[in-house]
Order: sequence, then C-alpha cells, then structure tokens
Amino acid sequence: MRLGVLTISLSLLSGAALAHGPTPQKVDQTIVIAAKPDAVWKVVGEFAGIDRWHPDVARSEGSGGNKSGGSRKVTLKSGGTLDEGLDEMDAAARSYSYRLSEPDLKGLPVSSYTATLTVSPEGDGSKVEWLGRFYRGDTGNEPPENLSDEAGKAAMNRYFADGLKGLKARVEGKPAP
Amino acid sequence: MTWRCALVGLLVVLGAGGVQASPVSVYVASQGAGTLVALAPGPSVSASPVVVGRSPAQVAPGPNGLLYLTHPDARQISVFDARRGSLVRTFPVDGQPFGIAVSADGARLFVGDWAGDRVMRLSAETGALEGTVSVGKEPAALVLDRRGRLYVADRESRQVSVVNSLRLERIATIPVGEAPFALALDPTEDRLYVANVRSGTVSVIDTVASRTIATFAIGGMPYGVAVSPDGGLILVTNQQGGTLVVVDATDGMRRATVPVGRYPEGVVIAEASAYVANWFSDSVSVIDMATLRETARIAVPDGPRSLAVARGGDR
Repeated sequence: MRLGVLTISLSLLSGAALAHGPTPQKVDQTIVIAAKPDAVWKVVGEFAGIDRWHPDVARSEGSGGNKSGGSRKVTLKSGGTLDEGLDEMDAAARSYSYRLSEPDLKGLPVSSYTATLTVSPEGDGSKVEWLGRFYRGDTGNEPPENLSDEAGKAAMNRYFADGLKGLKARVEGKPAP
Repeated sequence: MTWRCALVGLLVVLGAGGVQASPVSVYVASQGAGTLVALAPGPSVSASPVVVGRSPAQVAPGPNGLLYLTHPDARQISVFDARRGSLVRTFPVDGQPFGIAVSADGARLFVGDWAGDRVMRLSAETGALEGTVSVGKEPAALVLDRRGRLYVADRESRQVSVVNSLRLERIATIPVGEAPFALALDPTEDRLYVANVRSGTVSVIDTVASRTIATFAIGGMPYGVAVSPDGGLILVTNQQGGTLVVVDATDGMRRATVPVGRYPEGVVIAEASAYVANWFSDSVSVIDMATLRETARIAVPDGPRSLAVARGGDR
C-alpha cells in the first residue's frame, strides 16, 4: 500500500506550484569529453535538443527559439514532464542558464530549480559543468522522505550525471551506457 | 551612536556621522554549514566559523553587538553576541521563520513566517510571541524604518506589505514585480528598493506616497539589494548571471556589472566596500565602492546567503 500513499501525497502537493522553500540545495556535476569545445557545444548548445543526448529523456519540444525567453518541454522516460525556460544563452561563452517553469514531482522530486550548463576547454578536449540550485519537493517543515532535501539531491545529481554521461557517449561516438 | 539596527541582513548602511573608529565586522551566515563567520575589516581572511545551528537563512543586527538568525527548517531563532564571539541563546518559533528585523531599542524581533503568511512580533529577550499580523504569501525580506514602519516583501503575492509595527496592523499593500525577495531602504528612507526574482527587475517605491514610481531592468534573477551610503547607487545581485549589477538610483542607468561568484545572493555595504555572499561558490566577494571592482574573494563555509554588519564587535 505504500504506492497508494505516495500517489495521494503527490496529488495534494501539486497545487503548491510556485512554492519555494527556504533552504536551497546545490547540484553540481562535471564530465571531461575527448572532443573540442565547439564540437561538444554543437550537440549540447541547442536548448531544446536535450533529447539528442540525455539518456533519461524520451522527447523534447522547443518553442520561442534558442535564446532568452525560449522554452522546452522535456518528457522523461520515467513519465514526468519538465517545463523549462531559457534565461540566458551565451554561445560565445558556450553557456546557458535556465529555470524550471512548472514543477512535476513525477519527473523530479523538486519544487523549483535554476541551472547553468557550460562547456570549457580542458587540455585537448572539453569539460562540461552542469550546476544548479533547487528546492525540495515539499517545502514545508516536515517533508516526507520522498520529497526531502536528500531525495531532491539524489534525483538531481543522478539526472545531471546521467545526462553528462550520455552527452559524452554521444559526442565521443560510443553507444549510450 | 547612529548605528541603525532596523535593517535586515540583506542591507546594512552605516549611519553617517557615527562614532569614529568603532570596529565594524561583516558577518556571513552559511545555510548549508550552519555557521556564522566574521570577516575582518578590509579583509583577506575570515575568523573561525561559529556553529549556530541547522540551516540559518537570514541574519539581522541588533544593538549592542547582537545578531539574530532565523532557522526556518529548525523552527528556531538563534542570538549571537559579536562582542563575545559566541551564541548566547536560541528559542523555538511556531512557524517557518525567514525574514527578520530588530526594533531600534533591541527589545523586539519582527519575524516573517514563510509558510504561515504572517509576521510575528517576539520579545528579543525571551522569544515570547507578542502578536502577529497577516501579510501576503511567503513573506521574504523584512525591513523596519526609523518611524516604526515595517516593510515586508510578499514573494508570492507580488506586493510589499506595509505594517504599523507598534499596532501590528497592515496599513498598505504596494504592487511590485514578480517574486519580490529582497528590500533596501535608502538613507533618507523615502525610497524603498525591491529586488524581484522572477521579473528580473528592481521596483522603486516612494515610501511617502506608498506606491511604486519606477521599475529598473536588471536581468536574470535579482536576489539581493543594497543602497550606497550616499543614496546614489543601487547594488543588485543577479543570481543567474553571477554578477553584482550597479545602477544609478535616480534613473536606473547601469554603472557597472561586476562578475562575482556563482549564485550571489545577499549584499551589504560597510564603510568603503560592498560584500556579496556567493551561495554556490562558498565565498564572499569584496567590491571596492570607489572603483566598483572586486578586490578580494574570501572562502567561507558551505552555502552563504545572508550578511549583516555589526558595530562594536571585537574583530
């Protein structure tokens, strides 16, 4: 019956769409890729093209262009949907920043986040850093375990790490793990 | 001493003509580490961090070198004595304490209850609840002026509530931008600047007329705001951009965009420098107010968000 309880608590919480909690958390993942920064940016720099490289993503639909104000609707293989808005696109610096527009606790157990992805030179290849700030799924004082800071940290770090591994595999021409 | 203790940790301006040569310390509360640490004047290093309890969100200075910290996740307020360099007491709070302001005489605390959409008035000595007043949704920053008017940034109501702090009555609500988070009064207290996180702007409020008279475009996510001691410059942290944006107070024209650490949040001004808490980078950027350039970056414990300036401390 644990599943039943979980479903009820998720549906109760979905009304608090904009609620930010008082305690933000960090997510920070980095990977080194054996390709030039421009080659990596060609794959990762199209904001709505995340379904080309992230192994957890089933599909992604973009609108508004690859610039500030643009957005993407990311459908995860696990079933959830992430509506994300692009705040800043700096192709010269190979970096962009975006935010979650509408939380979906089925996708990621967090109520809000902002994130930045940056490609920089590293030796003969590239380093990709994907970092962000998020709030747990239940911003009240007694969050259930599945919507706690720890659950958010685990899910966000896994999602970012999976994505970077997929990006590396895609750019280096190896099949996704 | 003209040191005003009425401001939250998001902004501190030193009173002009105050006591000379009194030691001034900038304190930084780190939410992740649960610590408070003092930065020496003109600093390159910081003192040893003091453990203050779980997840301190905001810190506000009171008189006599006392600093008050809110701990929303622990439902607690802690009191730090800058002269002794130690925590002197903690008390439980019924709610999710976030924004905090201290009365000029140091007797009362005004504390926003994030999830309760209200402001509580507590005895600063005992923590006893004296009364509450309803405000908008998710009260973030609180600022108290010299007349005893309390301004509250109602984050999810797109407004600033104005409260008579003696009678605990809301006397006005002023529409601002989307997701107002931080507040700063100018030295004359006739202007209140509001950092709007989601609209990427600063609202300028005429505190006499109680209305918004201008909106300055900043971009990104403004999370902290401070006013220069002469009232001429507005300093705004842009969390998305990793910058401190400096604009002219009269027309909002950009004077400088200073790169700082990642996810900057709180900003205060003490003497000739501004201090920015870089939440993600675990550092504080020191910006020279004359040149508007970063002159130092000081490592601090995990997750610094809020700063306060204390006068009369040992360091």
